[in-house]
Parts: sequence; structure tokens; C-alpha cells
Amino acid sequence: MDSSAPILQATNLHKRYGATTALDEVSFSLYPGEVCGLLGENGAGKSTLVKVLSGIVIPDAGEIILDRLPYHPRNILDAKAAGLSTAFQELSLIPTLSVAVNLFLPKPKVNALRLVSMRSLEEEASAILNQYGITGVSPSALIGDLPLAARQRIEIVRAMLQNPRVLLLDEPTAALSEREWLFGLVDGLIARGTSILYVTHRLDEVRRLCKRCIMLRNGKKVLEASTAGMTDDDVFSKMAGRSVVESYPVRESSINDSAPPVLEVRHISAARVNEISFAVRRGEVLGVVALEGQGQSALFKALVGLTPLKQGHLVVDGKRVVIRSPRAARVAGLVLVPEERKSEGIFNDLSTAANISIPIINQAASFDFIRGKRERRLVERGAALVDLHSRYLPPNIDALSGGNQQKAILARSLLTEPKCLLLFDPTRGVDVGTKYNIYRVIRTFVREGGAALFYSTELDELVHLCDRCIVIYRGTVVAEVSEKELSPHVLLSLAAGHASEATQSMITANSRNGTSR
Amino acid sequence: MSQSTRGQRRPIPSSAFAALLYGIMFAIYLLYSPSAITLAGITDLLNNTIVLAIAAAGLTLVILTAELDLSSVGVIAVTNVIVATVSTKVPGGAFITLILVCLIGLLVGLINGWLVAFLGLQSLAATLGTMIACQGVALLILEAPGGEVAAFIMNRLTDTVFGFMPVAGLILLLAVAGWLLFRRTRLGIAIYAVGTDALAARLSGLNVKATKWLAFGLAGMAYGLAGYMLGAQTGTGDPRISNSFLLYVFAAVAIGGTPLGGGRGGVIGSVVGAGILTVMQKLLFAVGVAEFYTNIFNGVIMIVAILFGNLSAILSLRQKAIMSQHRDGQLVPN
Amino acid sequence: MNDILTRSLVSSRTFKPETLTALLVLLGAVLMMLAMKVLNPGFGSVQQIAAILTTSIFLVVAAYGQGLVILLGGIDLSIGVVMSIAGMMIAGLTNGSNEALTWALPVTLISCTAIGLLNGLGVAFLKIPPFIMTLANGTAFFGVALGITAGSSQRTVAPALQVLMSAQIGGIPVPIVLIGWFLVAGSVLQSRTTEGRKIYAIGSSLAAARVAGLPIEALTIAAYGVSGLCAAIAGLLLAGYSSSATLDMGDPFLMPTIAAVVIGGACVTGGRGLYFGTFAGAIFLSALSTIITVLSLSQGWRNIIQGGIIIIALILQTKQWYLLSIVNRQLPGKQSLDGVLPQNSEV
Repeated sequence: MDSSAPILQATNLHKRYGATTALDEVSFSLYPGEVCGLLGENGAGKSTLVKVLSGIVIPDAGEIILDRLPYHPRNILDAKAAGLSTAFQELSLIPTLSVAVNLFLPKPKVNALRLVSMRSLEEEASAILNQYGITGVSPSALIGDLPLAARQRIEIVRAMLQNPRVLLLDEPTAALSEREWLFGLVDGLIARGTSILYVTHRLDEVRRLCKRCIMLRNGKKVLEASTAGMTDDDVFSKMAGRSVVESYPVRESSINDSAPPVLEVRHISAARVNEISFAVRRGEVLGVVALEGQGQSALFKALVGLTPLKQGHLVVDGKRVVIRSPRAARVAGLVLVPEERKSEGIFNDLSTAANISIPIINQAASFDFIRGKRERRLVERGAALVDLHSRYLPPNIDALSGGNQQKAILARSLLTEPKCLLLFDPTRGVDVGTKYNIYRVIRTFVREGGAALFYSTELDELVHLCDRCIVIYRGTVVAEVSEKELSPHVLLSLAAGHASEATQSMITANSRNGTSR
Repeated sequence: MSQSTRGQRRPIPSSAFAALLYGIMFAIYLLYSPSAITLAGITDLLNNTIVLAIAAAGLTLVILTAELDLSSVGVIAVTNVIVATVSTKVPGGAFITLILVCLIGLLVGLINGWLVAFLGLQSLAATLGTMIACQGVALLILEAPGGEVAAFIMNRLTDTVFGFMPVAGLILLLAVAGWLLFRRTRLGIAIYAVGTDALAARLSGLNVKATKWLAFGLAGMAYGLAGYMLGAQTGTGDPRISNSFLLYVFAAVAIGGTPLGGGRGGVIGSVVGAGILTVMQKLLFAVGVAEFYTNIFNGVIMIVAILFGNLSAILSLRQKAIMSQHRDGQLVPN
Repeated sequence: MNDILTRSLVSSRTFKPETLTALLVLLGAVLMMLAMKVLNPGFGSVQQIAAILTTSIFLVVAAYGQGLVILLGGIDLSIGVVMSIAGMMIAGLTNGSNEALTWALPVTLISCTAIGLLNGLGVAFLKIPPFIMTLANGTAFFGVALGITAGSSQRTVAPALQVLMSAQIGGIPVPIVLIGWFLVAGSVLQSRTTEGRKIYAIGSSLAAARVAGLPIEALTIAAYGVSGLCAAIAGLLLAGYSSSATLDMGDPFLMPTIAAVVIGGACVTGGRGLYFGTFAGAIFLSALSTIITVLSLSQGWRNIIQGGIIIIALILQTKQWYLLSIVNRQLPGKQSLDGVLPQNSEV
């Protein structure tokens, strides 16, 4: 076999969703036995490309040649049959079924009666788990009972099972988890001639694994080069059109210690939250750092009353409050900007303006009748706070990009005049320009006397935006990092609870690069 | 019920709570009606249960895929009147009618499935439409209750075989056995997968649409069979649909531990649930509750059934939580 | 995703697509009647049209409540029973005279609203699925009514109600004037009040409504209460029109309320839909019903057509945005948002 001919060749792939072009004449090649990185901001088109290659989405135009044959998959099975397998970012495992069953979906082996024998399935699964170095997982365990890290491994192993010619790994290392195991597998696969398209936004992983990488931006391919000579700055400026140094607003401390803390959390416990205490001062942005699934989501939900407190209480502005629902939280001055924008944030049947005005719509009404002009003024005031152009206000909010939607949600939150903003990963899935906007909004808010609790999975954001950080591990606060000590690798090591071998190597990798993303 | 958890202590499935409840109810019923424990009594009880049980079994398949199906009473009406009009007129009528009603039920079910899975219509509204249309068809076939069911069907199917096994009981056993096998087929596994997380199922390579389509189809066939058995029980055809019966079918599924959200539960629980509701009705009758209270009873019992179903699901989940070894901070998807 | 973007293109500035749907439905009703006229020249006299509009009032009123509940993402299957109960109550309490009307009217309305509120409580607090809660509740109260009336029917209704349904203002039957007022009032209440706006939001995304702190339970209970109230009013009017009441007189109206809402373009999962659409759907179904009667079709055919219409309306709805975006693009004065929605908002 001619090893210089590409195993996968995509030509002018094009996909439009209404007025948005997700993939714009994207062409690239993948060679046998190589790992090629696929980089790009959220919204750049990475996930659409993955879906097109996996057979989930049919492109409007373009050709793909896989292993010298035309490749037009209409579903996952077609892709697998042609030799392409995908480990998805949104895990494709079924939580209520066992590991063994999941490994062999969609077509587990059947006997002569067309029945699946659980026992033989589990035996096979056991062998596979051993082969791939997954320990401590029983083949009969339900996926839903396993920790996220284990689930991710199974997702990856499943994609490797049929010895694909091409393997797509979509963000295979979820935020800050152990990675050496994966790197070992990748090395093994390449030695056998498999090609890997490695989708990530972490440059250190690209440097470790990939000789070449491709970058998408706004649906177009903007870079295809070898990783050897790339600096971080090169990459970031290509990704965003803006150099990395300028991407954070200058942070001047506006912390007001003479007033009581805006929010005091005293020994609260709730589901997955074990006795947490901290305080957010007026004018402060308090960061929250945690690995995936350590209780941070539960903490935020408990703070606004979405889940009940088992013990402890909250003090807002020096006064003790009881918060049993987000409504009560809003009255007390706490507003949550939620994790899942699409399902918990926006009302996707309403216009952007209606989305912004909804919690305080009563202010724009007399005797319950909404006054159009008053609502318009209210909404425009909110939009101005977040730099959202007024032309985005009339259309349905689901016509807007993720970044603009997030701005709208922020505008809504700000209009309720909160004392403390609780922001859960607010820049996830948001383009770089909007991120900068959001940072500015947060700092302006705290400068004018507010306070913010800010959780993010991007260490850079935490380091540059926050005055202080608390580290959460297994549902408790394990450390507090002051402004002087704030740095990505300090946060990372504290977040992991205790330095393990894997974390050490990650720290060394990070310090080699200077930043981690 | 979750897939087998060999090597781990299995949590109590929620259908076990239903079985427990059935035992209690039956015991109380026995107090009022001592003859219930005789062969004749058991045969009678099973005869009363079977229509609801088969209908509930069918509905379970659809609910497992996280969809709803209101058409059961419509299909039962159609197939019931067909049994009452055709079975006496055709030689070998019993058997031919059986094939016919299964086919009709399958057809209606596949139409439902096509509307919901392939055209993407919301299942509540779409099956409401087919239910009404089916009732219309039933009325066209038979304008008013009447007709006559072949003697063979009426007599033999409500009787016993081998001297001790009620035919209804045999049918139920076959249904349960069939279900235990079906659960281990690829389609059975797919139904659970699709109901739990349709997106993950699709990314895993399962054909979500085809799975739902087939689930509706099989459910329709079950409804057809239920209408056939109704003919056996009543001896006549009735084109009218009963809102109460529709409530009962859902109540049976709910009591049996299959939540309406899909992905969990099973046919066995629904069959037990049907048994519970039947015993309860007979109990009320034996106690002497006036008949026009039955409507109120039907309404209330439905609500209680859902609450009970929720309760047993919560208890079952809590059991799992206590027994589970790994716990990270992540909310367990469910 | 295609329809999401096209939906945005048409949602601003020009007609809302739902308005267009409503107009199309009304057009459909007219076309249907014209077709009937062709087949049957005797059809379509002024009196007949007036009768169609007059008898549409029951559906116009009852479907408003159904529409509100569907907007929340629920459904109300107790409307038929509540209509019957209201009719029986007013007939039984007034017993053919106007004296008791002043207190019988509020008592009836309040009782039926209470049934609706009970529905709301079950859905909001017990988390019982709406179709089960309303069906169960309706069945139970039907049993109560059955017990109280001991099955007897045929009561006589206060003359005032009968007069209301048959009187005329300036040559136009009172009911027709009433539906006009109801359309305006209903639309305003649904689309222009804060409660209505919040109901749209809750129906659009329950989780987001919770995070935003909207009064979900209160509005749910209120919506079902309003549905009960509307069913009661419809029942009263029906009793006045029929000059008597029976315990099953509301049954034929339940499915049509759902059909009217669906035909009118509302989304059954909630969050979208104008009352104008439901109103148009009610008129359409009223016309259809009259045509079916004129054609002497049996009950069986009536059911088949009804079921078929619901399904067809549902199918058309999925194509709705696509079709309407084509129509809307032809209208003048529409501002295109193409190119106005960049991914980056760097300004």
C-alpha cells in the first residue's frame, strides 16, 4: 500500500443551516498512520465536520474518499462498515444499559435464536477491558453508575473495537482528566497504521500527539501545518484574529472590604455538596475551580434553591436568607447564569427581547398589561449593558449565535439588579469576541458594587478574571488561592486533590507550553 | 428492569413492589370472596384480567421508547366489532379472525409509528387522532353494541385446558415468556436504549426511528389481540370506546413500575398492574360499592396509580444509590 | 435547523407566521363552504352561515381554555365533562325560571373553575401527567354528577340564557357579536398580559422558566382554572341554546377543542400559538360539522373525519414554518436578516 496516499480525502465539504454556514468549502487530507489535530473555537465547525465524517449529518456538497473509495455514509453503521469510527464528545453510551451491552451496540452478538447471551457478552467485554487497560470496571456495571472518566474511556475503547482505518476522537480528554492512558493507546494505534483525527482545543495535547494539525474558523479551514514550528500566539491569533495577550480586560481590584460580604455561604450541605463555606466580597470576582463532576454544578444549583439545602445557611449582605427556589433567590439578590444555555437558559420560542425582559416583565406593565414602549426601553437598557446590538432584539432568540444568546441571558440577569451573579461556565460555546465582552461585563458589574461567583473550565479565564479562587474537590472546598498565587498549574494540581503521576506529567507539559487551554 | 447485574446485588425492581401489592389485594379479596381461590374463581379472575393485561403489555413497549399511545381503546373497539361480525360468518372463523385482528392491530400500530417516528408528530396528539378515527371505523362496522362472537372463541378461551390451567392464564404465561425472550433480542435492547437517550442511541448506531416504528406496531398488534379476547369475554362487539378503560391501561403500566418517561420498566410489571386493578374492581363489587361510584373510583385510582408508580420508582432508585460503589460529584444521568 | 433559521427570518417585522396560519384556516373554511355550495346549491344561505357562526361559540370559548393549557405544554381532557356539568347545574338550579339565575350563575362558574383548579393542582404539585390528571378528574366528577342527578337528564334552563342565544343586536345574532368580543379579549389576555407572556415562556422551556424564577405552579393552576371556567361558560351557552341539559352534552366538544387548537397552528408541546389561530380553527370545525350534518354522514364518518383532520393538521404544522417562509418572502416590506447574523459580534 502506498503510504504517501491519503487514507481520507475530503474535498469542498459544505454545510449550511439556514443563514449560517457551518462548513465552508472545507478540504483536507489524512494520511495513514498519522495523528492530525483538528483545532478551532466553539462554533468554528469542528463538531459539524465530525458529524459529517461520522455519517450523522449529510453535507450539502463535497466529496469524501475513504480508503480509495467514495464515502457517503448515511448513518453510523455505514461509517463503521467503511472503516471510520468515532468517539463522541457527548458520550454515546446508554446509562441504563451495562458496559458489556454498550460496547457491542448496535449489533450485539446473537445466538441461533436471535437472542443475546448476557454471559458471553460480559465475558467478551471483560477480555476487551483488560486488553485496553481499563481496570476496576465490571462488564455488568451500568454505565450510569460509573464515573465520567470511566465512561469516557469506554466510549473511546468502543470506537477502537473494530480496528477502524480512521478513528475520530472528539475532545477525548474531558476537562482536566488523566491522559497518559489515552496517549499510550494512540501511540499503539498509529504503529498499526490507523489514522486519527484528534479534535481538541488543547494545544499541549496537539503538540504531544500530532505532527500536523488543521484549524477551522467560521466554517473555513484557516490553517493546515505541521505542529513543530507553531507558537501558541500563532495559533491563537489564527483562531480568533486577535493576539492572546489582549484577550483579557485589565483587572483592577475593586474589592470593598468595609461592607459585609455580599454572599456568605456557611457550612452548607446538599446533594453532592459536603459542608462548603466561603464568602464573596463586594467588588470581587470569586473563581471556582474543579475537575469534572466534583460537585460544582450541585453547589450552584443549591445556592439558588434549585435543590434543597440539607444543612447550613446563606447570608446575603449581612442578613440571613432562606432560599427555596430561584424565585426566592432572585428576591434575595442571587441570580444564576446556568450551565446549559439551550435547555436551561433561553426560551427558544420567544424573541430575544422577550427573553431579556421575562423575569421583570411586570415592570413594563400596568395592571398586568404589557406596555410595548416600556418593554422596549427596558430591553434596550439591558442590551446596552452587554453590548448587544438592537437589531438582534426582535428575532427569535434561536436565530442568534451562541455568544449573542449568552449576552441576552446576561442582560436578563443584570436587569434583575442582582447583588451577586452566579456564573456557571458562561463562556462555553461562545466565540472569542463575545468572551471578551462577557469578561468586561463581569468586571464592570463588580466594579459598580456587585459580586460574582465564577466557575469555568478554562484555567486562563480563572487566572485572569478572578480576584481569588476556591478549589472544589469531592464536594468540599479544599483550597483557596489568593491573587498572588493564581496560576494555571497551581490551580490544576490543587483541583486534582493530590498530585498523581498523571497530573505531574500534565503539569510539566503545561509549564513547557506556558499556558494550558 | 435493568439488565442483569451479575456479580452485584441486584436492586429490587419496581415491579416487585407491584407484585407485593397484588398479593395484599388478593388476600383482602379472598376475605370477601372465599371462592376466589378455587379453579373456577382463579379462571374467572384471569378472564377478567386478560384484556387489560394484554393491552397494558402492548402500551408498555411504546412507553419504553418514551412515547405515548392513546390508540389502544380505538384498536380494541375495531377488532372487537370485527370478531363479533366476522367470526361467525367464516369457516374456521376463530382462527382466521385471530389472524385478521392481529394484522389490523399491526397496521394501525405501524401507522402510528410512521406518524410519530418518521413524520415527527407528537405522539399524544397523533395517537389521539388515530384513536378517534379508529372509533369511527368501528362505528361504521357496527353501529351499536351487538353482533355475535363465535361460540368456539367464547367458550374455549374462557375455559381451562389440561384440566387445571385457565386458558387466560396460559396466554399470560406465554406473554411473559415471550417478553423475557424479547428483552434479549436486539430490538428489545434497542427499545430500552432509545427510551433512555435517543441521541446517544443514534450515535451508537441504533436506528431510532425504526425502533419506535416497530414498538408502535407491536403494541398495535397487542391491542388487536386484546380486542379479540374482549370478544371472548363478552360474546358481543361494542364499537364505543371507554375513557375509563384508557385510564386503566395507563394505570396498569404506571403501577407496574414503568415510568412514562421511558427507558425503564417492563411488561411483567404492567401485567401485574393489570391484575391489581382487576382485583380491586372485583373487591369493590364484592364489598357492595354502588355501581355509579365506579367512575369516581376509576378517576381516583388512576391518580393513585401514578403516585404509586412514582413512589416505587423513587424507592427503587434509592436502593441503587445505597448499593452503588462509585460515586463522583456528577449527577447520574437517568 | 433549517426551520429555526427560517422561523427567525419571518418572525420579525412582518406578520407572525401564526397569524398567517390563522388566516389560511379561515380561508380554508370559506373554500370548504364554497365547495359545498357547488355540490348543494341550497347550502350557504345567510341564515345557515349565521347558524354556523352562532354554533361556533361553544368551541370558540371552550377551545380558548384548551389553548391556554396546551400553550403550557399540557392538555385538558376534562372539558367535555365540565361543559356538561355546568349545563346540568344551571338547568337544575334555575329550573326554568330566571329568579335563581343571579346566584346560580356564579355558583356554577365557581364550581367548574374549581374542577379546573383541581386539575392544575394535580399537574403542578403532584406532577401527574396532564392527560391523565384531567382525564381522571373528569371521569371522577362525571361520576359525582351521575350520582347527584341519578342519571336523569332533561332539565329546563332559565329563559334568560335561551334568550341570550337567540336574540339579535342590529340584525346580528348576539352570539356572533359575542365571539367577536371574545376573540379580542382572549387574544389580549393571552398575548399582551404578563401572565400570558410567562405562560408562553413556561411552555417554551420549563427548565429555563425554573431558573428564571417564574411562578410555574401558580400559572399552571391558573391556566387549568381558566380552562375550567371557559368550559363552564361554554356549557352555560350550550344549555341556553339547547334549552335543556343532559349529562353527555359536552362530550362531542372535547376532541374538537383539541383539533381547533392544533389546526390553528399552536404547537402541542407548548410555547407557540396565537388565540386567533384557535379561533379560526373553531370556525373551521363548526363549518365542517354543519357540512357533515347536511351530508347526513353517520357518526362513524364524523369520527373518522375528525381524527383525520387532527392528523393532517399536525402534519401540516411540521411543514408550517417552511411553507410560510416561502409565502412571507413574497410579501413586500420584509427585511431580510441574511448576513445580519454574524457569528462574531465584534462591532
